[in-house]
Amino acid sequence: MELKEIRKRIDLLDSRILRILNDRMELALMAKKLKSSIEDKDREKEIIERIRMNSTGLINAEFVEKVYTEILKESKNLQKKEHSLIGFNGEHGAYGEVALRAWNSDWVSVPSKGYAAVFEGVSTGLYDYGIVAVENTLGGVIGEVNELLVNTDLYVIGAVELPIYLCLLTLPGVDHRDIRTVYSQSTALSQCRNFLSRNRLEPVQYFDTAGAAKMLAEETPKSSAVIASALAAEIYNLEIIKEDIDDFERNMTRFLILSREENKEEGDKCSILFSTEHRAGTLFSVLEVFAKENINLTRIGSIQSGVGNYTFFLDFIGSDKDEKIIKILKDLKKVALNLRFMGCYREIKVK
Amino acid sequence: MENLRLTSIKGKTPKKTQIQVGNVKIGEGFTVIAGPCSVESEEQTIETARQVKEAGADMLRGGAFKPRTSPYSFQGLGIKGLKILEKAKKETGLPVVTEVLDPRDVSWVCEYVDVLQIGTRNMQNFSLLKEVGKADKPVLLKRGMYSTLKEWLSCAEYVLAEGNPNVILCERGIRTIETYTRNTLDLAVVPSVKEVTHLPIIVDPSHGTGRLSLIEQMSLASVAAGADGIIVEVHRNPSEALCDGDQSLTPSMFAGMMKKLRILHDCMVKINES
Repeated sequence: MELKEIRKRIDLLDSRILRILNDRMELALMAKKLKSSIEDKDREKEIIERIRMNSTGLINAEFVEKVYTEILKESKNLQKKEHSLIGFNGEHGAYGEVALRAWNSDWVSVPSKGYAAVFEGVSTGLYDYGIVAVENTLGGVIGEVNELLVNTDLYVIGAVELPIYLCLLTLPGVDHRDIRTVYSQSTALSQCRNFLSRNRLEPVQYFDTAGAAKMLAEETPKSSAVIASALAAEIYNLEIIKEDIDDFERNMTRFLILSREENKEEGDKCSILFSTEHRAGTLFSVLEVFAKENINLTRIGSIQSGVGNYTFFLDFIGSDKDEKIIKILKDLKKVALNLRFMGCYREIKVK
Repeated sequence: MENLRLTSIKGKTPKKTQIQVGNVKIGEGFTVIAGPCSVESEEQTIETARQVKEAGADMLRGGAFKPRTSPYSFQGLGIKGLKILEKAKKETGLPVVTEVLDPRDVSWVCEYVDVLQIGTRNMQNFSLLKEVGKADKPVLLKRGMYSTLKEWLSCAEYVLAEGNPNVILCERGIRTIETYTRNTLDLAVVPSVKEVTHLPIIVDPSHGTGRLSLIEQMSLASVAAGADGIIVEVHRNPSEALCDGDQSLTPSMFAGMMKKLRILHDCMVKINES
């Protein structure tokens, strides 16, 4: 192995060590939500003892203790500060994280395994907020999330419309002519089908776009590239070979931001959930309330909840502080069943 | 001109090939392609792109893969250079021409730019010609520095025969006994091309002369000779250029030349109509 190659491997490891340290700090912030005080001498002692025992090879016990004393110090420093944690589905670099950074870049984003885990994390207080994708211009409604929305008590406090720019990423210094295989999530691969075939690249399915980027950075498979976000390139230290490789012009995903508490700030959009009695004209009588007051509906969706029973999603323009909307919400109670006000919030459109 | 089934003029009222690239139609009016010899940095390329656009250029040129006489000279930025060109296009709206050297790069270069250039040294690289013949982007085919018109057109025939009808010929000077100029710009080939083929032809006075002082005169001469356009090297600071610094116009020289070109072109339109 040449010096250059050894150094390249060292750089990859360093970037991985930093990511792992970041993961550890995220867990420390989550742990804070569940424990009474930041100081826990017994736990610290236990950690130091274990890592001293586990130190092998060139890593001696004294060195590792010094390193860990610093890590624990920094992790307590972070715990002392106020942080808002927001859970998103997937690995770091997922499009949900891109969307939440556009919403509030001060929040600490925490990767979560699956949408259900995001909902659960917010409900149990592990996260302050959660972000979930509800619909995509190409893929349509995300059924799993809509089902979770029907069965949750969480509120919607914001929405983000994000254009999805798919990028082709490789390890740094890889010659584009050597790329043969491209890993990504199945939807992303199918959205780039023409690009891949034009350049004679073999698509291989992976569970998640950012997960594929992480795998590439850590396992360094030969002749490979991934399709993921530009944020994933930044996080995993990958090179963007080509930005915006999808075959379609506009691909937007809409995300909702969830919280245990209702939005306290001014909003201009509201979301409600309801069902109706199984009688002719019941859905009409709900919509009539909006039509009479001249309120613009921006989305109407339905989801089957049990045989023959439907739950409807309705988004409309307006503020819940507005007299007209307050009256509508009161009138709705007379015509809709299981009415739940999900929140009044602001929606941002990312360019 | 036997064996030039697709390239040569057919019928008594031949239909000239016009090639749409973005908002530009090559073969209609006079198209000016300008930019640095090679993409050196994002800042240099985008600044030059803005300057040539302001002066009235229709398209941007810039090399990402450079064919250099010496293997130790600057070889170009490769994919990084293509990304910069793509960005320059986004910022200015100018369509981009860039050279492709390797058949393996053809599909990739197509992802970033609008026109594929085949350089003088590769004019007879038949595997490369076949590959760009399969591409869905127009090809700017430079004349080989030792090639006759017929050999040049045979190379265009290769591209057309593979199914790509959009070839722009580019006269860039040939090697003669003359040494004062870098090459001898063969302007007689412009009307000759018009006599035998329907393909558009543009002139590269930068390589054709290799002398800064001659570029404006030869650009004007190209208009008079009936060329469909020129491709010319412009660098914001020629003394710092990583290649072809002594034949690059400054943006202000280019702007001055553009004014004269437009005047002469209007004149030529009137002359041809009378």
